[in-house]
Amino acid sequence: MNHQPFEDWLLNDKPITHEQKRELDIHVRTCAYCAALAETGIALKSAKKASPQAGFTIRFQARLVERKLAERRKRLWGSVLFTLGGLVLLMWVASPYLLAFAAAPATFIAALVQWGVFIVTTIDAVAQAGSVLLRIIPDFLSPFAWMVIISAIAGIGLLWSVSIWRFVRVPRGV
Amino acid sequence: MNDELTWVLQAQQGNDEAFTRLVEEHQTHVYNLCYRMLGEPEIAEDAAQESFLRAYQNLHRYDQSRPFATWLLSIAAHYCIDRLRRRKLSIFSIDEENDDGSTYEIADPASPDPEAESVKREDRDHLHLLLKNLDETDRAAVILRYWYDFSEVEIAESLKLTVSAVKSRLHRSRRALAGMWQEDEHREHRTRTERRPHESPAF
Repeated sequence: MNHQPFEDWLLNDKPITHEQKRELDIHVRTCAYCAALAETGIALKSAKKASPQAGFTIRFQARLVERKLAERRKRLWGSVLFTLGGLVLLMWVASPYLLAFAAAPATFIAALVQWGVFIVTTIDAVAQAGSVLLRIIPDFLSPFAWMVIISAIAGIGLLWSVSIWRFVRVPRGV
Repeated sequence: MNDELTWVLQAQQGNDEAFTRLVEEHQTHVYNLCYRMLGEPEIAEDAAQESFLRAYQNLHRYDQSRPFATWLLSIAAHYCIDRLRRRKLSIFSIDEENDDGSTYEIADPASPDPEAESVKREDRDHLHLLLKNLDETDRAAVILRYWYDFSEVEIAESLKLTVSAVKSRLHRSRRALAGMWQEDEHREHRTRTERRPHESPAF
């Protein structure tokens, strides 16, 4: 059965003329689908709003207090754990040096200077080796290997971005 | 400046009392949306409370050029859509949850025609059940259109859709609802007319 233009009239919820209404009434009597469309339209238009049970605001206030408390507790534990972890790590890394400094300060300072020189010369050597490698490697690796390496770097970058996004995202609709 | 905007501004400055007033003002709108979306009073209550909490936490993001109710309903609609999608992913089906589909809209005995009122209520309850079969976003569009009188533009803004997508979703939903309504009526009619074999024709 052809439902046009009746279906459009029923779906668009726009005012129709008296003549169109008469035609629609006749069609609806013979077309079960359009009758159902009209009935659902009436049911939708007469829809009522459901109200929450009394005391919604009081329950919300209690929930808000609870949530704030939970967040404060979470923040507190987070900062305690972070500080403690940082301190333990720092002590673990620094303890041999502190002990050496306490035992013989002059030897320690000489070792520190030697270590600094070693770091600077190492960085310089690595930079020189890197520049040599950069000149040589492109000839050693095939384009396929380069593609794999670049794809892997891109994949890791994407994973990192998604993780950051998930961490800072705002709820939908806000 | 209207009261609502004053409360919003006060709430943005950390005044919880002002936000409580906003909750009081909009609780029915938000609860009804959640109830129509999720179908069960307890879950709707939880979703409505959670939507208000989201609004509270993101109040600094509220754009004052938009009506507060629209912003709030947009948060609630998205929350319900996400919840329904998560529910779909879980092993339990929506039908298996404790849902008798009942509503608490009782026919007003003082109304001029209690029978007509009762039929209307039955139709509304029937519709409430049928809504559950629609896709989450379609359901949200239908609810915003018919329960809140949102225009297609407002629905599009709230659900982050285009106006033409809203129009097509509304039409598709209306067709689907009509199809299901027709099927149910047909089934009911068949049940009524079919005589059970052991039953006497007198009954």
